[in-house]
Amino acid sequence: MALFRWSENWDPFAGLRTIQKELERAFNRHAVGGYRGVGGGVYPPLNVYNGENEIVVECEMPGIEKENIDLSITGETLVIKGTKHLSADDESVRYQRRECGYGDFSRTVVLPDRIDAENIGASMDCGILVVRMPKSETTRSRQVKVS
Amino acid sequence: MTGKDEKVKPSAISAGDESGHTFSSLVDIYEEPDGTTVLVMEMPGASRENVDINVDKGVLAISGDGSREPVLEKCDCIYSGFDTGEYFRAFALSDEVDRDSIEAQMQNGVLVLRLPKASKAATKKIEIK
Repeated sequence: MALFRWSENWDPFAGLRTIQKELERAFNRHAVGGYRGVGGGVYPPLNVYNGENEIVVECEMPGIEKENIDLSITGETLVIKGTKHLSADDESVRYQRRECGYGDFSRTVVLPDRIDAENIGASMDCGILVVRMPKSETTRSRQVKVS
Repeated sequence: MTGKDEKVKPSAISAGDESGHTFSSLVDIYEEPDGTTVLVMEMPGASRENVDINVDKGVLAISGDGSREPVLEKCDCIYSGFDTGEYFRAFALSDEVDRDSIEAQMQNGVLVLRLPKASKAATKKIEIK
């Protein structure tokens, strides 16, 4: 008889869940955007755009000061870390409803191409972080004329 | 205002379902020791000009537009975790709230509404004679 124990972090359904998410995304783009219900979803939600000369990562993080965001890039991996504080830092308040999450977060994005790490631009406007990363010269497609 | 009697207009919900672009924003509601109720609503992408707050017949309705220009022309969206659109949420307002002194502030995509208690509704201690 085979006896085995699942390791603490092993999730037997992780693979299935990934497939389900991918299917939802393929058939209904808005299903992914539906995280605005209470709870659920990976925080912070982000979009990744692959342009001709640029890769743009857009990240929704309302209420987070830019001082509390830590962006780092290693090779083709972008890591967005930060802290979101509770809406009231005062313990004397009495909460009636609490839907907005708080705490530390971290998300890793593996970029589709090599980028020029020297010229990354990041801006924050109305609670949306936009990271613009120009592709490195070596990966940009070039037209080659046949002589 | 309590979480229990919070209402969302049925018409707004159906409108959202049809287009798929009206979102119900996340809110935190808390009461400060002086009785002021504070409503914190996340509306990422919405600037103060695009947010509309109305109090009508005891219903506080907040709507906003979070849609914006695409960040990049001619590109593939290779991962989509959120979508943009309009926000709407409505709440039944308690009679205790002083309608004339509601204050609103918008910062970093978060709307903060301060709803002070009307002075006549503030707790009064009654002495026994």
